[in-house]
Amino acid sequence: MQRLIVWLARHSWVSIGVVAAVSVGALLSVFDPTTLSPRLSIDPAIERLLPAQDDDRALYDRVRQQFGETDPVLLAVGFDNVYSVDAISRIDELTRRLGELPGVKQVLSLANASNPVADDFGIDLSTFAAQARAHPDRIEQFADRIAENPIYRDALVSADGKVAAFALTLSDSDENQFRRDRYVQRIRALAEEVTGSQRIWITGNQVIKAATTDAILKTLKFTVPAIFVLVAALLLIAYRSVRAVALATLTIALSLLWTMAAAALMRVPINLVTALVPPLVTTLCLSYAVHLLAEFYVRHRSERPQARLERVYRRMGASLLLSGLTTIAGFLALIPGSLPAVAQFALLSSIGVAASVLLTLIFLPAVLARIGPRRRLRPLGEAFFVRKARQLALFDLKWRHWIIAVALLALPLDLYFASRIRVGTEYIKSFDASAVVRADYEAINEAFNGASLVSIVVETYVNDALTDPVLIREVDRLQSWLKEQPEVGAVVSYVDHLKLINRNLNEGDAAFYRVPDDAVAVKQLLVFGGSDEIRRLIDSRFRTALIAVRIKVDSSIEIADFVARTEARLGQLSPPLNARVTGAPVLATRTVNEIASGQQTSLLIAFGVIWAMLALMFTSARSALLALLPNMLPVALYFGTLGFLDITLNPTTGLIACVVLGIAVDDTIHFLTRFNADARARASEKAAVKSALVSVMRPVTFTTAALCLGFLVFTGSELRNQVQFGALAAFTMLLAWVADITLTPALGSKLRIVTLWDILRLDLGQSPQHTIPLLSGLSLRQARVFALMSKLERHHSGTRIIRQGDYARDIFVVVDGALQVWVDSGGERKVLSTMRRGAVIGEAGYFGQRRTANVDAETPVRLLRFDSQDLERLRQRFPRIAAIIFRNLNRIQAERLARVTAMLQ
Amino acid sequence: MRQSRREVVWGEGMRAMRWRRALLMVACGFAAGTAWADDAARDHVVGCMRANIPQSVQVKEVELTATDRTGGKRVLRGRLYGTRVDERLRAMIKIESPSDLAGAAYLMRENGGGDDMYVYVPALRKVRRITGSAADNSLWGTDISYGDVKQINNAFSAGQVDLLGESELSGHKVHMLALHPAPETDSRFGLIRLWVDQASCVTIQAEFVEGQTVRKRLVVAPDGLRQTGEHWYAADAQMSDLQEGTSTRLKVLGVSSDLNLSGRYFNPSTFYIGN
Repeated sequence: MQRLIVWLARHSWVSIGVVAAVSVGALLSVFDPTTLSPRLSIDPAIERLLPAQDDDRALYDRVRQQFGETDPVLLAVGFDNVYSVDAISRIDELTRRLGELPGVKQVLSLANASNPVADDFGIDLSTFAAQARAHPDRIEQFADRIAENPIYRDALVSADGKVAAFALTLSDSDENQFRRDRYVQRIRALAEEVTGSQRIWITGNQVIKAATTDAILKTLKFTVPAIFVLVAALLLIAYRSVRAVALATLTIALSLLWTMAAAALMRVPINLVTALVPPLVTTLCLSYAVHLLAEFYVRHRSERPQARLERVYRRMGASLLLSGLTTIAGFLALIPGSLPAVAQFALLSSIGVAASVLLTLIFLPAVLARIGPRRRLRPLGEAFFVRKARQLALFDLKWRHWIIAVALLALPLDLYFASRIRVGTEYIKSFDASAVVRADYEAINEAFNGASLVSIVVETYVNDALTDPVLIREVDRLQSWLKEQPEVGAVVSYVDHLKLINRNLNEGDAAFYRVPDDAVAVKQLLVFGGSDEIRRLIDSRFRTALIAVRIKVDSSIEIADFVARTEARLGQLSPPLNARVTGAPVLATRTVNEIASGQQTSLLIAFGVIWAMLALMFTSARSALLALLPNMLPVALYFGTLGFLDITLNPTTGLIACVVLGIAVDDTIHFLTRFNADARARASEKAAVKSALVSVMRPVTFTTAALCLGFLVFTGSELRNQVQFGALAAFTMLLAWVADITLTPALGSKLRIVTLWDILRLDLGQSPQHTIPLLSGLSLRQARVFALMSKLERHHSGTRIIRQGDYARDIFVVVDGALQVWVDSGGERKVLSTMRRGAVIGEAGYFGQRRTANVDAETPVRLLRFDSQDLERLRQRFPRIAAIIFRNLNRIQAERLARVTAMLQ
Repeated sequence: MRQSRREVVWGEGMRAMRWRRALLMVACGFAAGTAWADDAARDHVVGCMRANIPQSVQVKEVELTATDRTGGKRVLRGRLYGTRVDERLRAMIKIESPSDLAGAAYLMRENGGGDDMYVYVPALRKVRRITGSAADNSLWGTDISYGDVKQINNAFSAGQVDLLGESELSGHKVHMLALHPAPETDSRFGLIRLWVDQASCVTIQAEFVEGQTVRKRLVVAPDGLRQTGEHWYAADAQMSDLQEGTSTRLKVLGVSSDLNLSGRYFNPSTFYIGN
């Protein structure tokens, strides 16, 4: 490791060159060089967040394949009175013109809907428009005709007769094509031109998806530059150097570029979840850059560039790598059992974090060393933060028990409120109330008693089964039950068609508006009397049917309630009827619930993985748990807040806990790493709390401020769920900051941590377990652990290590160098011995005796120094190592006693 | 690919026609004369097509195999009776199988002011006259409508027919016709393109254009043309609904012409009675 650090410090141009080469490749991956267009795709469909192999999604696709597009584009046009010759003529004209739009497969409206008029002479199947032309006197009956026809009621004309609807089915164009071809604008313009009406509303699944895509793109276009501006401004305020800021901003931009290149290469689309990655990576990388700049420009006298780089790599390596790994662990914890979109989000975020750590750790110091400002920067507020950090450290130490008690009490309270969290989201209400897409949806929803379509597919797997009157009546009862549900606006099935055909073929006699008693008659009516529209509701073999349900609710909670109730009702159907609910709102609701229900597992995994990593790094399970506590608190507070304020857990708010946990643990690690080093250097935990807080408070505060501001940028989004994400994530980050500057120092004040990094880089010379008797019987790792639990000191030649006559309880072990032991005998220096590697000195003091001799460094020396407290701590945390050390100590004492005895004899 | 080739052929035909017209104009110098020549050529083609409908009754045993989007098939068999009375089509189709639909019958009578349709549903034991825009509605859930039956039977009484030129399709020399259905028919198709085999005067391909898109396409199998007596007909054709992804194959299993059948098969009061 040491060699790698030296190599990196010496070859900074190589690091810069490699980063430049990779970045060029990344740029070519993200943008097509020939067209300069981005290679990333946008996917706004919530239902496609479900896995492709998902059973519900497969059913949805199968139903669409069998019965055609179930989510038409709905156009509604306001008239003074639809039932007039002029209005119907305009509707007719608009229907024709809409049908001429490229890609429009079918348009259904009052104009081309057949108005069957049956009498003794036969059936007139002409359309409303044709009848209006031929028999204007019939127009006044149209309202009644529509009201009594369940297929047309609340579908062609609003109940008040002032709004006409047009259902447009488009030929296989996806929502991106729909958006690119600007169908909404074209349809609106055409409707305005033909009808002259200013009351025009357009909605439908594709319309909402197109608007969502626009909102995502707008959010990205707004948030990423806004965060960059914020980053630059913050760094400029913090470090007052344009060059340093430019280089830090470049590092952040490269992290983002690498992440997006990974998305392009892995063909991960930008969807409602992955859209959060770019701003997230930007803010995370900013946090790393702030810590690195703090270390890079820390005051060191006459330090050469290479030495500075080595110091930065050495000091930041542990904390940045650990921070990155724990953040990645937090993200990866989202993956098990989650939806593909969440897994993609986690993977992309992890790649972003890895890129950020790599670039911040390797690239940023290299460019700073080469072309960064040479002078020492004078960071803003340094003195202020030092002063406040000292005050805060005193406060934390004084009120340590209270701080911990409050934190522990807050946990169950938060859990109580968290238990009240509801899972769900509102789709259209995700848009601002002033957004056209929402206003249109709500207008159509109100005028036509529902604007979202849900399908119930009834399967029998038996040819002609659905012509059996017994089964038809059961379907009819199901339909009646559906109509009674408060969420339902309208229900249409082939049973409605069948009843109408029966009535029309029986001279329009209302008594025949019923299901025939004979299966043969049913089949004949369906085959010989059915229009093309019936093919959208029952298959040609009469074994599968579709019940089209128009719902007037938009909240996923209400939809989930309706689906659960309906599924229970469907379970009561007799064989061979077998029915399931499907449709875009159903799948979207299922997606929302899947994402939210994965929270508990994800969080547990995140806590587990981060704890395990901390335990490995700190080589102590207890220390890792203590390090984790300050991060569990903000997460608990976050969920408590959701429950308290009745904010639902949805795909975006559901991501916050894991994201914040991953980020917040960084600050804890920065504090604890510094605390550990300072505690060892100063031989005092209390002093280390102060110095560590002084050292990290400024960067941690700036980082938190940057992250909060970064998250708050999301509040400028058009989508409410992204606004919620931004506000709540900023709030939770703030909580994490408070916990990190109060609870972490309070918990850490009695803690000494040995990091894996420390173990790896500790140099005890050649085979210390074989060359130092006190360490005999230990493994190399155990020897290093013991050394780190002790204090490794360096002394210059001539330094007095032990003074004769002093009371002191430390024991020293010589790691390298030579010590001279001497006594003052009547003013004369009498040298007793020279101690070298492996020698143990000062054990008399350890056993309560005064120092019996002076010990001076004859050469520069490195000594391991420990006392009874260190040994007790070792006994508690590493009992096996302690047992061997105690045994060796006894052996050394025994040998020494034996030698003395032998000398006396 | 096939479609684009057809478009090319169509385009070539159009260009050839324009070229021919230009030459004709230069040669004669009289536009009226050109129009007259066009009309005569068109009438000749249409007359040739109509000549395939026998003056006496022709009976075709037909099989309709409808395939839905999921590949599910439904087979209907029946008899199609057709004749020409005063240059107007009379057609009646009667279902023979499956058994639960047997006996159902449709009668279509072409006339100048809008065609008459009658349906007989055995379960109701009633004949109902159908008026209005039913011409384009599918027959019994297949992809074929009454309007299509008219095309198949070469009857163009309600609409404007233009002869666009000549071309070649699947090894056949063809006339290209454009039919614009009359407004009073309330047809959803604004244009029907026809490729008529020059040798037999039978439509071997048709495209039904709704708005700007080809909604349905009828294609006669390469070896699907048959002749009985002097009359040609398509014995194997497939109608595809390009938007819905469904198709119906129409096969003529047998034909008998010039049978001395009574007019009851085309009488609204009696068409459904007997075999």
